[in-house]
Amino acid sequence: MEGEELSRRLVGKFPAVVVEPFRETAGRVRFPPEILLDLFREMRDGLGFDHLGQVGAIDWVEEREVFYTLWSDREKQYVFLSTRVPASAPHLESLTPVFSSANWHEREAWELVGIEFDHHPDLRPLLTPTGYEFHPLLRSFQLHEPEGLEVKVRDV
Amino acid sequence: MGRLSAAKPVLTTPAAAPTAEDSPLPMATEPAVPFIEIETLRAREFLPAAKEALGSLLSEQAQGKLIRPMFNWAGRNSLFPLHWGLACCAIEFAAAFGARWDAERFGVVPRSSPRQCDLLIVNGTVTWKVAHKLITLYEQMPEPKWVIAMGNCATGGGPFRTAYSVVPGVDKLVPVDVYIAGCPPRPEALLDGILRLEQLIKERKE
Amino acid sequence: MSEMWINMGPQHPMTHGLWNLRVKIDGEIVLDVDPEMGYLHRGIEKISEDRHYNEIITLMDRTCYVAGIAWEHLFILAAEQALHVEPPERALWIRMLSEEFQRVASHLMWYAAFVQDIGLMSPFLYGMRDRDLVLDLFQSYTGGRLTYEYMRVGGVRNDLPPGFAEQARKVCDWLLDRFVEYDRLCSGSDIFHRRCDDLGVVKAQDCIRLGITGPMLRSAGVPRDLRKDRPYAAYDRVDFDVATAETADVTGRYVVRMEELRQSVRIIRQALDWLDKNPGPVMADNVPRWMGAPYAPVGREGYLLKREYPKGVGFSAIEEPHGEALAYVVNEGGEHPYRVKLKSPVFVNLSAARHYLVGYRVADIPPIMGSVDICVGEVDR
Repeated sequence: MEGEELSRRLVGKFPAVVVEPFRETAGRVRFPPEILLDLFREMRDGLGFDHLGQVGAIDWVEEREVFYTLWSDREKQYVFLSTRVPASAPHLESLTPVFSSANWHEREAWELVGIEFDHHPDLRPLLTPTGYEFHPLLRSFQLHEPEGLEVKVRDV
Repeated sequence: MGRLSAAKPVLTTPAAAPTAEDSPLPMATEPAVPFIEIETLRAREFLPAAKEALGSLLSEQAQGKLIRPMFNWAGRNSLFPLHWGLACCAIEFAAAFGARWDAERFGVVPRSSPRQCDLLIVNGTVTWKVAHKLITLYEQMPEPKWVIAMGNCATGGGPFRTAYSVVPGVDKLVPVDVYIAGCPPRPEALLDGILRLEQLIKERKE
Repeated sequence: MSEMWINMGPQHPMTHGLWNLRVKIDGEIVLDVDPEMGYLHRGIEKISEDRHYNEIITLMDRTCYVAGIAWEHLFILAAEQALHVEPPERALWIRMLSEEFQRVASHLMWYAAFVQDIGLMSPFLYGMRDRDLVLDLFQSYTGGRLTYEYMRVGGVRNDLPPGFAEQARKVCDWLLDRFVEYDRLCSGSDIFHRRCDDLGVVKAQDCIRLGITGPMLRSAGVPRDLRKDRPYAAYDRVDFDVATAETADVTGRYVVRMEELRQSVRIIRQALDWLDKNPGPVMADNVPRWMGAPYAPVGREGYLLKREYPKGVGFSAIEEPHGEALAYVVNEGGEHPYRVKLKSPVFVNLSAARHYLVGYRVADIPPIMGSVDICVGEVDR
């Protein structure tokens, strides 16, 4: 499926969607966060992109981007989708009703980049320890050399 | 051996939970020997017991020359490391027990239970999430026990030193006897580290 | 009988790494599972935002420590797109050769670990013995056994040494003979089949719904392999078949991986023939020397630090030994990437644990989880 065809089939149903060429995939679909579930149902049932590859997030300081990758076995192609939410209210609808495999991906995006997925069945930290308070992949989080730790010496 | 039904088997209604009075066997209030003591008995009590047994036969000086070296000799030739893989170094740890290096010829046999081990080989990156589990495992091992920090991550954090989730060196958590450099160390390096630890045990006085 | 939650891990012979499988059991029957990850979360994606591109290759080796060079390949493909660099043709073939050798080493490691899970001891020694032969080949041209730092943006670090092809062909011949022995030991044995048949079944429809990829998906009869479907490197110029099985159980995954070993050897032989006939450069011309070199030029370190890369994004997908791995690299014109997102196949395969563990017995968990081939390094990253 070429970019134009994808654009033609999507824009008819979702006028707010922008399709642009992207890196040997069927295209990159930019969509507003409100139509997330409808768009993904259409991608899965209508266009045959039935395999969720990944969900990830990027912090652009002012706003945060959430991106998705879908694969179609029929077309043998990936499609890349992305949406942006403001950093002041990083809320997005969970994709789990459409793709149940989004569960862990969203848990990871939540704890690392701080995207809050509404109606997620089980939004617990996945990778960081319990009680960890930061979202480490935010740009404001700085890495630094460890300090102030004591070395244990065996008494001989 | 297919998938079994998750439905519960039919059970009769369970009676009320047995109380202390109903119990046919009276429970001892305390075990005769505390559990933890049994675990450490062999190692800790060996020297006094041996001294007592040999005291009538040997002079004080001969005891010192005989008992401690024998104890060290037995200990260093049967080091049992904990079978625990943390990260990359665990693969080289496994390779050291494979056909080519065969670490078992040094008497090093990995065991899965910390209660049977006297050597903790920290083979990989230690994160803060696993730190307290590592300390628990170390504390569950009976005395005397040793720790080898295998690889750069266990030694000082390695390439992940600046990361938010990584302990910069396992010596912040437990005392380490031998450090092995490398990312990951080759199996030869691990064997060298084990042999050096054996040398340390050989020279151990008290 | 009563229901209870038990922990299998983080220190448990079944886990093959650092994770915790919480299991809800009723007697011997598994009612629910909840994998608890993150014990090896090293923040690789965050550290990558603090490193030069060639320094990130070091981290990629350690992301998946049984398939290091495959992850280097994944990252390099995305980074080359983000930095607008084209590698020469010979580098593509060497990369493909390396990835296939890595697949052989990874599957042999899996074989050695998996057969221990089902209670066989000697195949562990055979698997490790043959894996060491492959690692010797890696060592002869990358210098490392597990962590190679071999690929570079714009090519590979160095060419194959003289005499490599003969040695590699000898190893290939040796391996093909050994695979027959493996089959005789395991899949030819009635004990193996009684232990592994009809365990951990995930049908094709469920695999696709749950996002499962790799040998688990192919064992359900879906011939999906990114090397065929979306060829990268030089996979469109070699002949090989996609291994599939129909049973979708533990035995099926074993059969698929054994067949993939044979197909990898087939690809390796074709790649060796091509590399014999086509000498040439292994680094692109238009890459600045400091970027492809294994070292920074003396006296130019300041130049290296001040360098600004062009803006761009890169997206790559490869068929890693465990399944489909994705990388997304965003470069905003700084000296470091703005964001590196890695998707691991094991992450998804493991997230579906509830679907292939519930309903089996506790004693079935080790073979099932062994057949999934878990590398915790790439799950937690």
